[in-house]
Amino acid sequence: MPTPAVSDPDDVPGPRRNPELRLLFGAFGVVAFAYVNVAGSLKGQHASAILGYMIAFMVVTLGAHLAIRHWAPYADPLLLPVATLLNGLGIVFIYRLSLVGKFGNPGNPGTKSGLSVPVPLSSTLNQIIYTLIGIACFVAVLKFIAEPRVLQRYTYILGLTGLILIALPAFLPSSISGVAGTGAKIQISIGGFSLQPGEFGRLALAAFFAGYLVAKRDVLALAGKRVLGIDLPRGRDLGPIVAIWALSMLLLVFEADVGMSAVFMGLFVSMLYIATSRTSWLLLGFSMFILGALIAWQLIPHVGQRFEIWLHAFNSSVVNAQVGSSYQLVQGLYGLGNGGLLGKGLGGGEPYWTPLVQSDLIFTGFGEEIGLAGLMAMLVLYALIVQRGLRTALMVKDPFSKLLAGGLSFMFAMQVFVIVGGVTRLIPLTGITTPFLSLGGSSLIANWAVIGLLARLSDTARRPAPKPIQDEGLTQVVSLK
Amino acid sequence: MNRALKRISIAVLVMFLALLINVNYLQGFQTASLATRPDNIRGLEGQYQHERGDIFTADGVKVAGTTPSNDVQNYLRVYYNPQVYAPVTGYVTPYSSTGVESAENGVLSGNDASLSFRNFIDLITNKPRKGATVGLTINSKDQMAAYEGLKSRLAGTSNTGGVVAINPKTGAILALASWPSYDTNLLAVHDGTTLNTNDQQLLAESPSPLVNYAADATYPPGSTFKIVTTSTWFTQSSANTPNTSLASPQPLRLPNGNFLNNDNGEQCGDGSGQTPAITAFAQSCNTPFAGLGIKLGGQALKGMADSFGYNQNLAIPGVTSAASNFTAESDGSFTAFDAIGQHDTTASAMEEAMMAAAIANGGTLMKPYLVQQVTASDLSVVSQASSTVLSQPITPAVASFENQMMVAVVKSGTAADPVNAAGAQGLDIAGKTGTAQNGSNGSDKSDAVFTAFAPANNPTIAVGVIVQGGGYGAAAAAPIAIAVIQAALG
Repeated sequence: MPTPAVSDPDDVPGPRRNPELRLLFGAFGVVAFAYVNVAGSLKGQHASAILGYMIAFMVVTLGAHLAIRHWAPYADPLLLPVATLLNGLGIVFIYRLSLVGKFGNPGNPGTKSGLSVPVPLSSTLNQIIYTLIGIACFVAVLKFIAEPRVLQRYTYILGLTGLILIALPAFLPSSISGVAGTGAKIQISIGGFSLQPGEFGRLALAAFFAGYLVAKRDVLALAGKRVLGIDLPRGRDLGPIVAIWALSMLLLVFEADVGMSAVFMGLFVSMLYIATSRTSWLLLGFSMFILGALIAWQLIPHVGQRFEIWLHAFNSSVVNAQVGSSYQLVQGLYGLGNGGLLGKGLGGGEPYWTPLVQSDLIFTGFGEEIGLAGLMAMLVLYALIVQRGLRTALMVKDPFSKLLAGGLSFMFAMQVFVIVGGVTRLIPLTGITTPFLSLGGSSLIANWAVIGLLARLSDTARRPAPKPIQDEGLTQVVSLK
Repeated sequence: MNRALKRISIAVLVMFLALLINVNYLQGFQTASLATRPDNIRGLEGQYQHERGDIFTADGVKVAGTTPSNDVQNYLRVYYNPQVYAPVTGYVTPYSSTGVESAENGVLSGNDASLSFRNFIDLITNKPRKGATVGLTINSKDQMAAYEGLKSRLAGTSNTGGVVAINPKTGAILALASWPSYDTNLLAVHDGTTLNTNDQQLLAESPSPLVNYAADATYPPGSTFKIVTTSTWFTQSSANTPNTSLASPQPLRLPNGNFLNNDNGEQCGDGSGQTPAITAFAQSCNTPFAGLGIKLGGQALKGMADSFGYNQNLAIPGVTSAASNFTAESDGSFTAFDAIGQHDTTASAMEEAMMAAAIANGGTLMKPYLVQQVTASDLSVVSQASSTVLSQPITPAVASFENQMMVAVVKSGTAADPVNAAGAQGLDIAGKTGTAQNGSNGSDKSDAVFTAFAPANNPTIAVGVIVQGGGYGAAAAAPIAIAVIQAALG
């Protein structure tokens, strides 16, 4: 007797690999159209190159699809196509920025030219190579982490690794770790090739938090004293995690990477909350964050500047300040305004007036050229990735996987919120990369690793329970949900 | 754990909603305020990368062109005789534009759909793209006479004024001068800081030179409104002719018990209390027409005023226009003042010219227009203006009555002196003076108004002149109108 047909697809979902492939081709279609759009607008410039770029991109991402079919057949079918679409649009926009203006290359005239880093023509190819490495990383995650729970074994190793990766740039001289034009020390730059180890460090720390909190969540939630209506855990339970967190925060502040420390804080608080389900932790973490931000505003000059830029962006003394100028933010806002509802069309706007539009400010570049309609679609794409991740966290049964999926998803959401909110002046602008869009390898590769982990976790969550070895009559496999 | 995860999901939802709302706010509602910020250089680029089209007067004088520029842009807009042509050309900056620069921006910049095929051909044949040339209806001699006239009367004062000349047969605007004026080149600069400084300086000047006082400002029309009052009266009955006598008391007792006087309390006509309409009109007596106003009623006057162009947005491309005002009052005491162009009745210089033009054209008012034709850079004509009728306020018969009366004003009435002084007797001018006592200038001098056309037997030009605080219409406004007519016909 065959197993009874399952009517609710959410209960025991099928592999859904063919819909994924169709969605992937949908993403290719959008990306190809965007390429043609750019080449058409910026006529005659390297138009032949786009075929090569497109084919390379398709081959690489189809490889990722095959890897999913082989190693994670039950993975969520939306993750890969959505990430592919965002990554593809990012490459197209880097290509578009390398061609600069419709009317030639005006550079960045005026007094702020030092802020502008031109996007060389080789950037597109570089970004495709980074995509290749990112997808290799994605495939490696699927192949080598067959079961997410194995990571739990390496909890403390992961914690140490994460810490070292984050701390590394702080101990290196500014000539190697400094980012031109900013006070941040977040990269390792050797011979033109640069790496931001913190991008990977935070993944390792997320896994560490998950592992540690799963082991300690009961004692964290239950054992301890009650002070002022808040249940405080015992110091020996909370100590290591707070120590690691505080150390990483200090390092981030020391490296002047404010955006990343905000993302980190979000990751830490959300995972603590998911693990313990205690609202008091959430409130405590949130108020600690607000308090920390306010203290940093007063005490740390570069944080104070961020607030000044945010509050008085259009004040001419702030725009023209030698240090802590709001020029970049204001140019980004002008770009958004120039785009309006439908945008100027890819290649039709003037995003190159905005310093760092190829990395931190790329979202405003998109806003200028694909308009409000395009930006809303992009935000929905980001939200989809987060939603699939949180859905995975809800579905997966093992607590470690649950925590990891929840933490990674929230960290991704936090990253989008910090950078998009920053460039749209919702919150103070702090320089972090825009997932999948910004020029640069580390962030792209790390984000593909996140998608790999989420795909692996969702595969675990959605894989049907093993069939009974023999037919046991009326006994049925029931959902453990 | 699932409960916490669901709450985290809600937090994420709130975060994304905040981002979506903020982006909507920025790109949906803030675009205009961002675009108009002085240091915003977005959009400047496309504007000056190609050569913008030239603007010529009807007689071939270039008033706006471009020169190659060595800064970040390729071309700089240049205005010639900018003060004279400022109310016509307007200006164009990345943030705002006015006048013909605004109305014809599409063809001048070359972005208009009508030019896309030609742009495509230029692209293929590798010719540099250039915007289309705009040919105005303006005649440079008339325009210069109008501007110089205003300047001679108003320079050194804090008053304003405007002159409009129209071809009554077509509606083509021959002159459009405004005082005070400004150098439009100040707003053509590329450097945002300089542009902002110049803009702030212009905005700080009082009265503002950026306003087009020829069309976008209204003043009391004074006695020129008697054209509308008498037109209403002639239209009412064919028994009414210029020789029909009107009651001409001095003073006129109004329904509310107040009195309305002639200028300086003088008697009208021979002092008998009955004066032929043509005589009263030529002498510009007040009481006969105020009395007519009471008799005709506010509604009838308003109907006629409306068809002469009052109370309507003229929507002339390239000319920002304020609506002239006539309000129908139920109280005859107010209508009496309205009928002689006082109280709250106001008119622009454009309206003054249109009143003369309607009479000059046998009662048919043509819609004024400023752009004659648009020519692409390959000299092919992109578009050509055609005359359209705006309204028909009076019949040809009534128009000929008005014509006779306005000729009398110049032959033997209030405008005889200025015409003789200018030696313009041979030009066969017909006109009407206006001296608005409750002038809008705040000083004790009246606003001077004059509306005229010439030659009376076959008019080719109609002129409206308003000189704020100029005093008598005959003394301050008529000489300017005569100079413009002389420039056109002489």
